Amino acid sequence: MQNRSLSFWLFLTPVIMGLGIVVVIPFLYGLFYSFTDWNGITANAFIGFENYIKLFQESEFMDSIWFTVKFAVVTVILLNIMGLGLALLVTRNIKSGNLLRTVFFMPNLIGGLILGFIWQFIFISVFGDIAGLTGIEGLNGWLSTTNTGFWGLVILTAWQMAGYIMIIYIAYLENIPKELIEAAKIDGASSFQRFKNITFPLVAPAFTVSMFLTLSMAFKIYDQNLSLTNGGPFNSTQMVAMEIVRTAFSDNQMAYAQAKAVIFFLIVAVIALTQVYYNKKREVEM
Amino acid sequence: MKRNKFYSGIATALLASTVALSGCSFGSDDSSSSDDNASGDAVTVDVFQFKVEFKDQFEELVSMYEEENPDVNINVKTVGGGNDYGASLKTSFSSGEEPDIFNVGGPTDVDEYEKYLADLSDTDAANAALEGTLSGVSRNDQVLGLPFNQEGYGLLYNKKVFEEAGINAEEITTFEALEEAVQTLEDQKGELGIDAPFAFPAKEKWVIGNHLANAYIADEFNNDIMEAYEADTIEFQMGDQMKRFVDLQNEYSVQPTLSLDYSQQVEENFSLGKVAMIQQGNWVYNTVESMDPEFAENNVGILPIPVEGYEGSIPVGVPNYWVVNKESEEEVVQASKDFLDWMYTSEKGKQFVTEEFKFIPAYEGYEDQEIADPISQEIYEYANEGNTLGWVFLGAPTGWTEDAFGVAVQEYLAGDISWEEVEQRATKAWEDARQ
Repeated sequence: MQNRSLSFWLFLTPVIMGLGIVVVIPFLYGLFYSFTDWNGITANAFIGFENYIKLFQESEFMDSIWFTVKFAVVTVILLNIMGLGLALLVTRNIKSGNLLRTVFFMPNLIGGLILGFIWQFIFISVFGDIAGLTGIEGLNGWLSTTNTGFWGLVILTAWQMAGYIMIIYIAYLENIPKELIEAAKIDGASSFQRFKNITFPLVAPAFTVSMFLTLSMAFKIYDQNLSLTNGGPFNSTQMVAMEIVRTAFSDNQMAYAQAKAVIFFLIVAVIALTQVYYNKKREVEM
Repeated sequence: MKRNKFYSGIATALLASTVALSGCSFGSDDSSSSDDNASGDAVTVDVFQFKVEFKDQFEELVSMYEEENPDVNINVKTVGGGNDYGASLKTSFSSGEEPDIFNVGGPTDVDEYEKYLADLSDTDAANAALEGTLSGVSRNDQVLGLPFNQEGYGLLYNKKVFEEAGINAEEITTFEALEEAVQTLEDQKGELGIDAPFAFPAKEKWVIGNHLANAYIADEFNNDIMEAYEADTIEFQMGDQMKRFVDLQNEYSVQPTLSLDYSQQVEENFSLGKVAMIQQGNWVYNTVESMDPEFAENNVGILPIPVEGYEGSIPVGVPNYWVVNKESEEEVVQASKDFLDWMYTSEKGKQFVTEEFKFIPAYEGYEDQEIADPISQEIYEYANEGNTLGWVFLGAPTGWTEDAFGVAVQEYLAGDISWEEVEQRATKAWEDARQ
């Protein structure tokens, strides 16, 4: 606190303003509206916790939360394994290392909506054609059942985000002192032992960061969901964000949707904070 | 001491931000006032409309009007169809940038925006509107909206394929006849070069929930949108027929139907001649034309959806209405009304509406105009002869058609629930919404 002078606060001002205008104030407004019967134009009555009580009884909302949780668990595990795997691959001294980094990172540059449509084409037309040629029935209609729709979303997300997570792991991997590895080599540690006892503990901070990123991203996913399956079939692949948008804009229940959003916020906040707390405890100092 | 410093810090930050903010607002004030000066005492009308398909043509019409009336300045803003439009409209209202002319879909929207809607019963367009087209937007003898156009739907079919298969489309008015035709097509799939008789886009909840359902529930509400709007429950009196029609389309469709969407249905399958029939309306014309102009011009016909008691009728209705914002200044309201009148009742306007917008007019006085595309022509004929079914789905509770009924049918198609459960669930959702 001592050295926080006037200039410190002046430099901070734009950020505080930005945060206040686009995050804090709307959030407080939203919190207020979730206790009313607001329909987007007027709020007539203050109805207390009615919206909140209603949403816990609604199966559609609960289904979408459950679906999202399953999705988050699978993608977080998959993305971190893939991210670390790719990072290990490209940090070896192979010739095409830099090229591969670019290639793996590339999908992340494509916007979610476009990506969804690209994969929709792959899942429906390409998979269909392959099924027609090889006679593998399992490849037909990937987006028409709940189960394959789920895996479709997982594949899409993994493909898009793995490169991004890889970058984080690369940053930490390259910070590991060469001497440590060398010393271990001289002591006769196998490559698996080196990975398990040196590399893995030292990239633990990267786990904290990338797990937080993947977790919050998996929960908040919307555009990929919209363009790939649009929640179908029968809203069974509908994630929470999409369910909320639908409640607000197609069912026209703004305040109710707002209540759902508040609950959603709490869930994500609790899970993410818990995760960061535990990961932090596990990190080792170099 | 430390605390104090913290608070004084916050205070500084806030002070700085006020300065910055007020700086911004001065800037924008300046620019807007200079704008006003430039346009003199012209009336400015802000239009916020949703029909993306005719954006360019509409803007052309607007500039024609502005040339004729130099003291009127019309700004057009277009935001994509469906939910996006509703959301953006709400946003502009809650942010205080209320448009002067905007669109509403039906009775539900009218209720929501009622306090903003000006009475349009004194306009020429309202007087010329075809009988029945205003019922959804009339309240206490006031006409609150003017219809965009009429739309109709049924089973669009490929004339060439039907001919080759030896099917006479005019004979298909009953369910049995349709089933027979479908069977014939199915048997000759190979020779006809089609993949299946139908492309049934079960992924699109609106195709099932809005249009398919409408054909079989219209009778229950006497083909009157307001009756549907006031109904406390829905009984599915024609539920069996509806099931039969869903099953027929689903069974003889390109598979898997649950991931088949609108663009695959219209572009890939129908326009490229891979299927013989699709359930759609005149709005697909431009898409089909862009894929294959020759096919669109000569080979697309429309068959009625078979409904007992309504053989040979197709559902025709008004999908959207123009409304004028009552809260705007008086001269703006008047200018808005004049513009809408001009669009639908002047010679130039009428010509534009049919030729450029390719609308099926919802107004009288279009007898000498030529309707642009063959699908619309056929629908206009059905409407003229009075062979129509009501367009009642806009009177269903908000979200019911897609999120209650459409979803239930999808589950039925996936084999998860029975048809009875579809009806039960949809009925319950209707009743819950109307409590």
